[in-house]
Amino acid sequence: MPSKGKSSKNSTSETGAALGTEESFRLLVDSVRDYAIVMLDTHGIVVSWNEGAQRIKGYKPEEIIGKDFICFYPPEAIERGLPKRELEAAAKEGRFEDEGWRLRKDGSRFWANVILSALRDREGTLRGYAKVTRDLTERRQAEDRIRQQSREIMELSTPVMQVWEGIVTAPLIGSLDSQRTQQFMERLLNRIVETNSPVALVDIMGVPTIDTQTAQHLIETISAVRLLGAQVVLTGVRPAIAQTLVHLGIDLSGIITRSSLAAGIQVALDMLNLHVVPKKAEN
Amino acid sequence: MNEPMQGEFTIATEGDIVTARRLVREAAVAIGFGFVDVTRIVTAASELTRNIYHYAGSGVMRWNVVSDGGREGLELVFEDHGPGIADVDKAMEPGFSTGKGLGLGLPGARRLMDEMTIKSKVGVGTTVRVQKWVKK
Amino acid sequence: MAGESISVMKIRGLLLVTVPPDPDDLTISSLQEKVLDAMERTQARGLVLDISTVQTLDSFFARTVAETVQMVSLMGGRTVLAGMQANVAVTATQLGLTLGRAETALDVDRAFDRLLAGPTRGPGK
Repeated sequence: MPSKGKSSKNSTSETGAALGTEESFRLLVDSVRDYAIVMLDTHGIVVSWNEGAQRIKGYKPEEIIGKDFICFYPPEAIERGLPKRELEAAAKEGRFEDEGWRLRKDGSRFWANVILSALRDREGTLRGYAKVTRDLTERRQAEDRIRQQSREIMELSTPVMQVWEGIVTAPLIGSLDSQRTQQFMERLLNRIVETNSPVALVDIMGVPTIDTQTAQHLIETISAVRLLGAQVVLTGVRPAIAQTLVHLGIDLSGIITRSSLAAGIQVALDMLNLHVVPKKAEN
Repeated sequence: MNEPMQGEFTIATEGDIVTARRLVREAAVAIGFGFVDVTRIVTAASELTRNIYHYAGSGVMRWNVVSDGGREGLELVFEDHGPGIADVDKAMEPGFSTGKGLGLGLPGARRLMDEMTIKSKVGVGTTVRVQKWVKK
Repeated sequence: MAGESISVMKIRGLLLVTVPPDPDDLTISSLQEKVLDAMERTQARGLVLDISTVQTLDSFFARTVAETVQMVSLMGGRTVLAGMQANVAVTATQLGLTLGRAETALDVDRAFDRLLAGPTRGPGK
């Protein structure tokens, strides 16, 4: 390889090493900290280890060179023969990319993006593999945070509030899909148990229509509340929803309904043997 | 090393149904399923384990983690060399009864899990595979 | 746990059975026998089944409970299931389980109130 004649600023034994030589490529690879760049032999044994690999995976070079690369994989991946299959795929296609869990030296897991490349000599004989690994844990954590926030937004939009001792109220607003309804069901049931409330006022005046599956989940919710030992009073049933519910052909006789939330409150008070007593007017 | 997320368990006595529930619960919790999903999975496992005990006398339950791109889940496999199911489609209908007054709990287990596949041959045996993915 | 023994207590003319968190099939079956035996001996007016610690409610458990409710009813009593956990309720509903004509209550206290109050009324019925 022609030397470019530039000298490095380092005053180490590498002084005068020309850029573009094998030596300087090795220095480049070694110094990369954000990527683990590892060379494997044809059997998957680690033969080289850069600083990024040490930083990401925890092993020092002397601890890992000579060891089989399957130690980076979690047990369930080894069980399914993943390491071997990845080497085979890289040998066949030239390159193999994957995302999945990998293990650090201390046994902890991290989410990795891995690119395995087959290294062949001029005759085309397989000499080994280059493995570049990136730690995507932070990106994955950010994705998890976004999902968590979506969940919280969903929770805020279907609140379950205790309005009186023994009564929880859930005003549902907007379109209800299966997922939202199922999450609502779990939240409603938990609140009923937490607050020990025998009555749940579920108002669906703000829900214009629902599909068959969501209607099914709504009925399931009402049945589940009954199993706990509480009772749903459904209020604000719009015509389109009334149609869907009846067309489902299930027994609706056990469902208590009223046209408005106010009327529903009256039913709840009756159930709890309570009634509202107006204050006497001041004279 | 105690690795709860995968294993194999032989079902031969009635008491094994409870043990199977406990093993599945440990696996589901270790993988990170939410509280309600753990209950769903354990209940489905209870149904399918009981099937093995009552219809085949004995069998095996295997479980392991599955991953698929970005998601993870639990796979349970119930295998027996019992009488087999003649008509799987019919057994999946709610209300199906084998005459002992018992259904096979298959439609229920199907509803609790995300995926179910059944392979069965009369006189040879049955394998039921179910999977549930961790909700994100 | 093989054959955990379940105790049936008589309180204020009613039977109270506390079901353990994860009973095996033998325990569940013996529950039915013990309840019916106690109904006969004590002439109790009703049964409260405390399921507040039960973690798994599968079809076998549900069937046994439904049968027990019917049998207790034939012997002149009412049954109230008390304290079902929220996630058990979700799963039981998804499984399509019915618990027969069992009444339900949020806890043992309310179950007793309901049975001692007399004719059926109010939530959970």
